[in-house]
Amino acid sequence: MIALIARRIIQGVMTLACIYTLTFLMVITVPGNPFRQSERNMPPEAERALRVRYNMDNNWAYFVQFLSGAVRLDFGPAFTYSDWTCNQIIAQAFPVSAMLGFLAILLAVLIGIPVGVISALKRNSWFDFTTLGLVLIGISLPTFVTGAGLLIVFAVYLQAAPVGGWGTLAHLPLPVVTLALPFMAYIARLTRVGMLDVLSADFIRTARAKGASQRVVVWRHAFKVAFLPVLSYLGPATAQAMTGSFVVEKVFAVPGLGQHFVNAALNLDPGLIMSSVLVFATLLILLNLVVDVLYALIDPRISGAL
Amino acid sequence: MIRNLILLCLALFLVLLWAYTGGGSEPRADLAYVNPSGIHTLDPARMSWTQDFRIALNIWEGLTTYHPRTLEPMEGAAFYPPEIADDQLTYTFKIRPDARWSNGDPVTADDFVRGWRRCLEPGTATDYTFLLTDHIQGAREYVDWRRGGVLLLTALTRLRDGEKPTEEEAVAVAEALTRKEIGARDARLHEELLVSGEDREVAAYLREADLDWAGLYREAFESHASAFEERFAEVKLEVPRPDTFVVRLTSPTAYFLDLTAFPTLVPVHESVELLREGHEGAPITEEGLVVYDPQWTKPNYHRNEYPGLITNGSYVLADWKFKRRARMEVNPFHRDAGAIRCRTVDMIVYDDLNTALMAYERGDLDFLPAMDVAYDHEIARLAISGERPDFHACTLLATYFLNFNCVSSEVGKRNNPFTDARVRKAFALAVDKRAIVEQVLKRGDRVARSFVPPTAIPGYDPPEGLGEDVSAARSLLADAGYPDGAGMGTIELLHTPRDEVVCQALARMWQDRLGLRVELRCKESKTFGEDKANHRYMIARGNWYADYNDPTTFLDCLSTGNGNNDSGYSNPAYDELLNRAAAVRERDRRAELLRQAEAILVERDFPILPILHYTTPIAIKPHVKGLKPNPRLLFPFRYVSVER
Repeated sequence: MIALIARRIIQGVMTLACIYTLTFLMVITVPGNPFRQSERNMPPEAERALRVRYNMDNNWAYFVQFLSGAVRLDFGPAFTYSDWTCNQIIAQAFPVSAMLGFLAILLAVLIGIPVGVISALKRNSWFDFTTLGLVLIGISLPTFVTGAGLLIVFAVYLQAAPVGGWGTLAHLPLPVVTLALPFMAYIARLTRVGMLDVLSADFIRTARAKGASQRVVVWRHAFKVAFLPVLSYLGPATAQAMTGSFVVEKVFAVPGLGQHFVNAALNLDPGLIMSSVLVFATLLILLNLVVDVLYALIDPRISGAL
Repeated sequence: MIRNLILLCLALFLVLLWAYTGGGSEPRADLAYVNPSGIHTLDPARMSWTQDFRIALNIWEGLTTYHPRTLEPMEGAAFYPPEIADDQLTYTFKIRPDARWSNGDPVTADDFVRGWRRCLEPGTATDYTFLLTDHIQGAREYVDWRRGGVLLLTALTRLRDGEKPTEEEAVAVAEALTRKEIGARDARLHEELLVSGEDREVAAYLREADLDWAGLYREAFESHASAFEERFAEVKLEVPRPDTFVVRLTSPTAYFLDLTAFPTLVPVHESVELLREGHEGAPITEEGLVVYDPQWTKPNYHRNEYPGLITNGSYVLADWKFKRRARMEVNPFHRDAGAIRCRTVDMIVYDDLNTALMAYERGDLDFLPAMDVAYDHEIARLAISGERPDFHACTLLATYFLNFNCVSSEVGKRNNPFTDARVRKAFALAVDKRAIVEQVLKRGDRVARSFVPPTAIPGYDPPEGLGEDVSAARSLLADAGYPDGAGMGTIELLHTPRDEVVCQALARMWQDRLGLRVELRCKESKTFGEDKANHRYMIARGNWYADYNDPTTFLDCLSTGNGNNDSGYSNPAYDELLNRAAAVRERDRRAELLRQAEAILVERDFPILPILHYTTPIAIKPHVKGLKPNPRLLFPFRYVSVER
């Protein structure tokens, strides 16, 4: 187990180095000027002074400088928002996104799995078809539509929730539900397919034959196996949800990391682009590692294969 | 196993929830308004965005301030009016004894010198340096000297560290050597340098040369650092007494008092010096830049015993959460603090204005200074028809126009026909601006025939301009050698995603009316701006928002070599008229000269094609009194009262 973790961490560091280099190459080759502010043209001398100050007039020096900072977890200044460092921006935004994403995944799991199991058990019933329909809607409706719809109904007409913002319990339900819907739908589908596969397996028949109750068959025997594909989906899904959804954050005015991720790219803000990419990549690698460890715990056969 | 996992998750959930609600939520401010993109910077010297000015205007106070409705200059931190000498070149401001910083310190003339100087210095200054270099005696010379110094020092640090300097830097070093500013003791250097002539050769020579770069750098740094204060003394910002600030101008500037209210020209408290970075005891960095810790604009930043941001406006910044919220509270030391009825103001960030509009309808926001939503024509209709008395159509001192590239003979291997004024005029005459305003945008904008919006600036009537005339356009094209558009090739129209619809309409008009092929090229705003500034376009969308209430804020953009002259237009007759106007003291005569200059733009040469003058809807809740729609969307909140 420890060897597995160590191997994964080394792989992760190498992956991060590649991601950093590729992102850096893209940042310096993309056309446009990160120092340009509004429509107004900055005097060339002022711009040159800024380039000198941020070490941006020499790509190689900037590459090394940013990397050595990043290793010490210091991502340097944000260009577009020059009063802030990337660290401050991430420190303010990441907990928000993490909270939102965690709750969304929790909700998606808590509802998605039972729904998937029940529809597998009651295959081709009205419940199965209804949830199938809802799942399709959940997967295919873009979040800006569901988000705006929820806002109009619950915030504007029913006045039951605030219109966007962050900071109190009342701010949570609408963005969490909006963000959770597509994950929930996908988890329900994965669980249903997995359960259907397992329920027709020989060992389930054996379990039933030796007189195990329906509950024991479903949850102890079948679900354990059917859960594995869901688990491997949960790693990247959690990373994706926790690093912020641009659309959900925009619609609900949630001050999370997702909008900085997208806006940094639009603003060509090198520091903020690279730091948010690195945060996202690290989280993804870590969560995948967690999933691998859980896999090994649930199914000891796998630990050798990984 | 799974049970344990679920328990773990729930425990994590509870911890998170506890942490989340632990902060509690503060009560709502008296006035809450939206800022769609967040604050870019609160450093006055670096500001360029209206949203940032909107805050700066309330937390800082210049020598004058803006009247809440007309934006005319009125009393600020100095008594109004100041003493103006007969030649209109010397302004003597007396700082009010009751002008205070938010920690109670008196505001002094030195604080103004500090603030204004930050707008000049390489390192702190950005877009608005020209406000000072264009008007203050000695300012341009000082800035040129400083920029030269920074260039030289940067080049020498690079050579010292064994890196390669750019050609420009190498030339700066070579010039300093030949002028014996550095290395005067080493005669060999100069002989060797004089041999090579071409810039490229000089650069190559310096890269190879085995010189004592560290010694030369030290010499250059010491001489620049020691002359630093002495040279600044030649900028005519004088402080004869702590409460007296004397400014000497290069020419009588009719709008100078308007400029002194501009949010970049504010005083800065001396505590900022605690956060200054220096090199070997000098007040400049290794490269000669003036650099402060950029965190100084935070209210709760305390490195080096810095007390946190101190300002002198009617409000102080109480809290600032990145892209979330900024809260302003009344500055207890402001002379009018007792009379200000709106005690707290929240600037809340809603990235999506649709959501902001819902929050407004629900009462979470009181004021929307921007409503750029997909259905803005419907909002404009509600505002103009009076169905929604809380929606106001604001006519702005701003123009939406097209730039024609007047300089490049080729654009991306295609022939650029717009170096010919007849072609530009033909394109201008063939546009139906009314259709764009009334059928495409439907926001209630005004059709533009001039660059400067009419009826907006007292004492100035822009020229008539030319209307639509398709047959004249055709014959102009034929005169220029393109009968019925033959031989012109494909025309490119550069725009940003926001201009898609208007540009499609324009392309259609030219295609149908002049028989041309027009291709749209859409680019993201940063790339778009770079292409436009570097003349990599044939026709490019432009817009201009006035910085001050005078025609020159528009007209200067098209003078030769101006940093915002994106069309590359250069006409000595035009420049001459602007220069004469700048030297004239009588207002009517000056206005007449400017009118003649503008007539060259919009009746003869057409480096730009004005399309419309913006009208933008804003929303103010009826219970908010004293917030007046104005043409530059600058809102001093101290005159506001909220009667819920």
